[in-house]
Amino acid sequence: MIALKQIRKSFGKQEVLKGIDLAVEKGEVVAILGPSGSGKTTLLRCINYLERPGSGHIRIGDAAVDCGHPSKKDIHRLRGRSAMVFQQYHLFRHKTALQNVMEGLVVVQNVPKEEARRRSAELLEKVGLGAKLDAYPSQLSGGQQQRVGIARALALNPDVILFDEPTSALDPELVGEVLSVIRKIAREGITMIIVTHEMAFAQEVASRIVFMDDGAVIEEGEPAEFFRSPREERTKQFLKRMTPEGVYNI
Amino acid sequence: MGASVDVSYVFEYFVRLLPSVGITLEIVALSLLIGSAVGMLVALPRLYRIPVLQRLSQVYVSFFRGTPLLIQLFLIYYGLPELLKLVHADVSRTPVLVFVVAAYALHSGAFISEAIRAAVGAVDRGQVEAGYAIGMTGFQAFRRIVLPQAIAVAMPVFGNLVIANLKDTSLAFSLGIMELTGKAQTLPTMSQRFFESYLALALLYFILSFILQKGLYRLERRLLRHEPADGSASSPAKGRRARRREAAARLNLTEEGALR
Ligand SMILES: Nc1ncnc2c1ncn2[C@@H]1O[C@H](COP(=O)(O)OP(=O)(O)OP(=O)(O)O)[C@@H](O)[C@H]1O
Ligand SMILES: [Mg+2]
Repeated sequence: MIALKQIRKSFGKQEVLKGIDLAVEKGEVVAILGPSGSGKTTLLRCINYLERPGSGHIRIGDAAVDCGHPSKKDIHRLRGRSAMVFQQYHLFRHKTALQNVMEGLVVVQNVPKEEARRRSAELLEKVGLGAKLDAYPSQLSGGQQQRVGIARALALNPDVILFDEPTSALDPELVGEVLSVIRKIAREGITMIIVTHEMAFAQEVASRIVFMDDGAVIEEGEPAEFFRSPREERTKQFLKRMTPEGVYNI
Repeated sequence: MGASVDVSYVFEYFVRLLPSVGITLEIVALSLLIGSAVGMLVALPRLYRIPVLQRLSQVYVSFFRGTPLLIQLFLIYYGLPELLKLVHADVSRTPVLVFVVAAYALHSGAFISEAIRAAVGAVDRGQVEAGYAIGMTGFQAFRRIVLPQAIAVAMPVFGNLVIANLKDTSLAFSLGIMELTGKAQTLPTMSQRFFESYLALALLYFILSFILQKGLYRLERRLLRHEPADGSASSPAKGRRARRREAAARLNLTEEGALR
């Protein structure tokens, strides 16, 4: 369904992604973990071409891009297959919650307005914002804004939704509401790649964990296994730092 | 000349100036309309860093911001026909008003392009990326996401420009245009009541700016309705200008706003 082959990306002289290979099956929920600066955000941004990889191949469904020779058309098709939920939400601030969700449907997918409105309202209902359709982002809490962001991503019916630390900009008391929405859509079999620092959440919701460090995938595995007995030394170090003692000694 | 101010003259001149309001507003409207188009065109090369054009637009902006409007008026009135002669266009019969409007349009265009540039910069990059991420083209993201917000941010500056432009039209009389100021100078030739005439003129400008300001402020509020005036609206201590600035700043909240 999604295949990344030898993705490389440099900023100036610094190589940030050093040949990433990753395959994700339909319905999988992949959590990407890794220390700060390891290239997780860059990788997600490369998948939908917000960042241009230097080389490699990206395929999502039937859209493929050869990063050595990307064409505008291929990039556009690729972006059409994925949706992104940003750490800082990035809602369109001059549009209401409903308009935020409708925008992609109407402008990009040419869905008739009425139908777009109906579908968007349903999605906002689903993320628990049925009462906030006409609120502007400035009138919503961070958690609510992020849930609009998730509805906006869902609306496009993408092959995969990419989440970049969807809760790390939130006040602690708002994290739960967003995680529970993600949990809910994960159960519906939507393919997701989630970059997160929420270890417990990753373990619970992911079907696979990918651990990155220094621009490379160091280790991947099934969550219980990954947390119980990580193979690589760097993974062990990371988990030791990230998890309060005892929590994962199941 | 009479010893004291004769109010009846002020009133009379005020009424007799009214018909000239049309031409003044015509200059304002036309020059801002054309100036907006020019400003947009001139802002683009700098926004997108297009090599040579970027330099050109910089030069244009510095020139029109850095020289007196009166000189620009004369330069365009006397210089443009010469330039056009090079391409064999005869403009000797073109009404003076055309040159006046051209000068004001080029003048406002320089300021408008700066306003647009600043305003576009104030719309955070993340929203554009969100637009791309939902599959928008660059043009769609610019038109649907950046432009509406940039216009809202630029409104206060644009509003100031409208008022400045209204006042600046008073220089057009120097090329013989019978707009408000020109008219006000001819009215008292018989009576010699110049002071009364200028008083009526000032009053008229003041009323026009006042109405324009009110209208522009309404428009601005409407364009910024997504950014609540909430707390600030109920605290009169905070000036309107401070609120506008906040609204503009809020559009720009990215990292800081959310990390808290
Ligand atoms: N636009 C950029 N220009 C230059 N360097 C960049 C840019 N974006 C990221 N980097 C660098 O690339 C490296 C990887 O950054 P990235 O944001 O992908 O890390 P991350 O794993 O998402 O980290 P975090 O957990 O802190 O979000 C870092 O060293 C960062 O400084
Ligand atoms: Mg990151």
